[in-house]
Amino acid sequence: MHYLNLISLNWLRTAALLVCLTATVAPAHIFAQEPTAGLNPSTQELLDRGNELLLRGSYLAAIEVLSRVDDEFFQDQADLGLSQAHIETGQYAQAEAVLQRALEEPADHPELATRLAELYVMTGRSAQAEALLAEVIAGQLNPPVRTLVQYGLVRTLHGDRDAADEYFNAALARYDSGMVFESADVAMVAVAARQLDEFHDANALFSEAIRLDDSNLEALVLWGDLFQEKFNDQDAQTNYNEALEVNRRYAPALVGLARIESPERNLSRALDANSRSVAALATFGELMIRNGREEEGLGFLRQALDINPESIPALATLAARAAMNDDMDEFERLRERVNAFSPESASFYASVAEFLGNNYRFTEAVEYARRAIDRDPRNWHAHTVLGGNLVRLGEESEGKRHLEQAFDNDPFNVLTSNMLQVFDVLEEYATLESEHFRVNMSQRDAQILWPYMEPLLEDGWDRLVAKYGFEPEVPVVIQVFERTEDFAVRSVGLPDIGPLVGICFGKVVTLISPDTLSANWQEIVWHELVHVFTLQMTHNRMPRWLSEGISTWEERQGRPEWGRRQGLDLIRAVQQDRLLPVGNLNDAFTGANSNADLSFAYFQSFLVVEYIAEQYGFEDLLALIHEFAEIKDESEMFANVFGVDMETFDAGFRAWIDQRVADINVYVHAEDSPDEGEGHGHGVRENSSAILAELYNNESLKQYMQGRVQREPRDFQAHLQLGIVLFREEAYSEAITHLRTAHELLPDYTGYPSPSLVLAQVYEAMGNEEAQREQLAIMLEHQQHDFAAPLQLAEHALQVGDLDQAAYYVERAMAVNPYRPEVHRLGAELASRQGDTGRTVQEYEVLLTLDQNDPVAARTDLAQAYLDNSQPDDARMTVLRALETAPTYERAQQILLQAVEPAEGD
Amino acid sequence: MNKTLRKWRSCLWILALSPVLQLQAQPADDESTPWFQQTTDTGKYAVILTGAAASDEIAERFARWTRELHNILRDDYGYATDNIRVLIDDGQRMEGVTVTASSTLTDIADSLSVLRGEIGAGDQVTLFMIGHGSGTFGEAKFNNVGPDMTGADLAAMLEGFTEQDMVIVNTTSASFEFSRELSALGRVVVSATRSPSERYDPVFAGFMIAGLQDHTADLDRNGRVSVLELFNYTTGRVAAWYDDLGRLATENAVLDDTGDGLFSREPGATQADGLLAEIAYIDVIVPEAEKSSPQAQALRAEMQALERDIFILRNQKQNYLEDDYWSRLEALLIDLATRTRTYNALP
Repeated sequence: MHYLNLISLNWLRTAALLVCLTATVAPAHIFAQEPTAGLNPSTQELLDRGNELLLRGSYLAAIEVLSRVDDEFFQDQADLGLSQAHIETGQYAQAEAVLQRALEEPADHPELATRLAELYVMTGRSAQAEALLAEVIAGQLNPPVRTLVQYGLVRTLHGDRDAADEYFNAALARYDSGMVFESADVAMVAVAARQLDEFHDANALFSEAIRLDDSNLEALVLWGDLFQEKFNDQDAQTNYNEALEVNRRYAPALVGLARIESPERNLSRALDANSRSVAALATFGELMIRNGREEEGLGFLRQALDINPESIPALATLAARAAMNDDMDEFERLRERVNAFSPESASFYASVAEFLGNNYRFTEAVEYARRAIDRDPRNWHAHTVLGGNLVRLGEESEGKRHLEQAFDNDPFNVLTSNMLQVFDVLEEYATLESEHFRVNMSQRDAQILWPYMEPLLEDGWDRLVAKYGFEPEVPVVIQVFERTEDFAVRSVGLPDIGPLVGICFGKVVTLISPDTLSANWQEIVWHELVHVFTLQMTHNRMPRWLSEGISTWEERQGRPEWGRRQGLDLIRAVQQDRLLPVGNLNDAFTGANSNADLSFAYFQSFLVVEYIAEQYGFEDLLALIHEFAEIKDESEMFANVFGVDMETFDAGFRAWIDQRVADINVYVHAEDSPDEGEGHGHGVRENSSAILAELYNNESLKQYMQGRVQREPRDFQAHLQLGIVLFREEAYSEAITHLRTAHELLPDYTGYPSPSLVLAQVYEAMGNEEAQREQLAIMLEHQQHDFAAPLQLAEHALQVGDLDQAAYYVERAMAVNPYRPEVHRLGAELASRQGDTGRTVQEYEVLLTLDQNDPVAARTDLAQAYLDNSQPDDARMTVLRALETAPTYERAQQILLQAVEPAEGD
Repeated sequence: MNKTLRKWRSCLWILALSPVLQLQAQPADDESTPWFQQTTDTGKYAVILTGAAASDEIAERFARWTRELHNILRDDYGYATDNIRVLIDDGQRMEGVTVTASSTLTDIADSLSVLRGEIGAGDQVTLFMIGHGSGTFGEAKFNNVGPDMTGADLAAMLEGFTEQDMVIVNTTSASFEFSRELSALGRVVVSATRSPSERYDPVFAGFMIAGLQDHTADLDRNGRVSVLELFNYTTGRVAAWYDDLGRLATENAVLDDTGDGLFSREPGATQADGLLAEIAYIDVIVPEAEKSSPQAQALRAEMQALERDIFILRNQKQNYLEDDYWSRLEALLIDLATRTRTYNALP
């Protein structure tokens, strides 16, 4: 005590108060867990215990303990802890009451005053906060670091960035002079560094703060926020989890974690701890609105704004929603509301831009991102948002420029650097142009895929322009990525995109190269191309369910074998009452928890569109699309087009579905597994029950299935599995009976294996090649993703001289896998026999890329094709390369002489 | 060693000529390699060593490969039946194949000793090894019936073949360390694997046999399959096989023909290895009917000179500008093609 008296009281107070600032300070081991039995605890013991309870999230107990401190010397420390406990539980008024004492002489209680100012900001009184902090700073020779930083943050909020920077620099200078010791203060210096765009320093300072005190929850979360701001979710997640290990009720950490994983669960936990957490409410509100749960979202946002009328995230979400709905009066009202405390806030505009971009409104997103940058050219996040949205509009060079600018000044932003890396990938890619498209793809795909993609695109364009009476803005940009990660980054900025294989942004389409898929790539291209039309027709305002529904419906219109046939899924969904009302169909996409859910969302959307086309006609579907060009209530649009309200429309749709189920008329056993396929719905869907039957030759399975068939003669799955088991027992005749029954029950079944596929295998085993081919042909009427069957049928058709059939099946094989040399060998032979010298050249050109086993033969064949196609110069150069390896190869020598002879005769 | 290597490179244009022309090529003595100077008098022998199998299914595969290899060498590559020695497993009978002995260590040693006594200087022996291999560093083995044969064992057995050209193709798993023991000057050694850790059964042998079948691996269309061509064809097919299955390749074949025990993955003109393998042909050379008129003989000499010029130019490709190279090559190739056409038209 005597020693304490020797020290400046002011310094002591400062040191003591800093220790309590974030309730995270004292090492855990010094805290007593229980009061000393039989004795009254000392003030220090009360403080220690209260702070420990606060740190661990026992807020009410902390309030009780800290309230018992009655010692003038320790009062500020106790009040800081007490106010913190109130804040963590949303008792802002109580917190404010505790801190009121600071108002008498703010400079004498700088930490209390600073905490009060922070509370003012939290509750929408930033002007009062600024005044209070200014008073503290004016009254102190060396104001606390926290005061400087909080003052800078308020000045930033108020749009005075230059003034704010002065205080952030002052905090950094304090650190540079060696006068910052405590973890909490180091974290505040880190915040200042972050505000000055010194991201590297901010990172190092947060690291130092945690090294000084690994229980500094505030620092852990602020550091996590910095990581998250840079889209480094992994490190952010680590930080949030470390904070939650100390205090599982720490709302700021739960809110941060919610932005990365299990959003609803973590936000609910945050609100359990602090039902008035503005950050949790605003984040929940945005989440709900993003997921189409508008009313719930608005409720959360209203609560957030009731507590903090100056919450920019909440106001920005509301403003973005208003902009989405073309409600510019509401937008202006909200903008004015922000302007009242934060004039022309760059972060407000950047948030609006980001929201709009995430909702496909790229043009408007660009506009708002530009406004953010006009206001604050140093808002690198806005540059990233602008760059990303420009890229989605096909404005590559300007987009890249903004991304580079963002990266140069903020190199830690993972999203920015990812997107720029994709530009590096694209630089190596070929750029190809047709009449309406500009396409980027790898050099390999340019050689192999483009010759077949170009006619598909242009044919699709012509048909869809004629059908929809609309010509999209050109050129449509299509980018085909070899690496899934590049596709994902180009599409969403980050390398994980789930099961998607193609995304349309309106003017820009991104695709995964078919080389990495086992699916009909032509159907995927067609599907995305339809999106180009529907999105552009509605200025990207069409809801996802309808856009996907139309694209999926158009698959079937494109080729008879395309499209989805999920009859069993439909029956199962009706049995389980899983069909959603049309008005809620978007939820099927946003709320999908599995690939199967997502796949069914596509399928139900398709069914609605098919219902419209069948019952009302294509013209009404077209009218509905045009309705979506304007922002209106969905029920109003449906009433305008179909003359009925949504409920009546839904009832009609359900009746139509019931009739469809009745028409299918197949029994679906509750125990059977649904077919499994990719969530995007393109590709083979596996019938896992039937695959098991393929693997096991099981007597009990046979008896069980026979029993099912006796009970339910229309049990498709039972007939199929019986057929498979009997086939494996080589009981061919019985197998054929059951497989034919299964096929008759559900002739368009496309799962793997299908009855016709197994029948083909049965006939193959029996040596009946003709019947085998017949079954393969039947299978291919509906199964579009098979490569081997069309190849086999094309080969046979060529053998028997049926060139039309050969051409059809070569095309079918090419639509699945154009990367296999055998399909091009058949294609070359076919083209040659058809006298199509141009196509022959094309096939041999592709073969030269694909078949590296015999380059001399490949080059010689290609040279011959060039010669036949009156391309002697190409023939000459190609055969020279063959002869370089094989100079005595006489067939090549003859081609060379033929190629040069006309020139010699000239 | 380097001096020898330079000599090989400088004489390559002569040694790599087409089969017809090679018979008449007479490289200067001071330029020629002492190995693989093949004529119609060169005797060619093949030894197929097939080891024990880990299962009946694998045994069936090894036997099939052995039979196919034997028949292809006999039917398509001109090997007399007596010149193909098959040492398999426990020496069981094989339909259509004369089995020399089992592949026990003793039988291998005895058979090679007998062979050495039968063949002459300049003859070529190609040793194909089919089966399982095993080994860690310094202890590589061929899994045969009885005590396993180590690389050192086989190297000792081959020491006596000093006057013959030797090709060894080891298609076994973990074959690398074993093969390295066999490296020697003037010998071409192919290993289906490049490290002891590549211990899964390779598919190399199957694709090698497919490459030999119908001379599929004759990539330069000169009517014969060189060891280098066979190696390149097989490694390409093996890589494609793994790629098609979406699996990481668990075998990576390598070749050494400089005797230094340092194997190359992509032997060829730009690598240390490959030059000897390029002139080591599997085929037995058979005399072809020649046109005897003075005009035909003159044309033949001109074609030979042109072909030589083409090889020289090709080997010096890096010394020319791209356009200049192709222009020169085209002129030579047109000339050669024209003369070949004229030659073929002669009676």
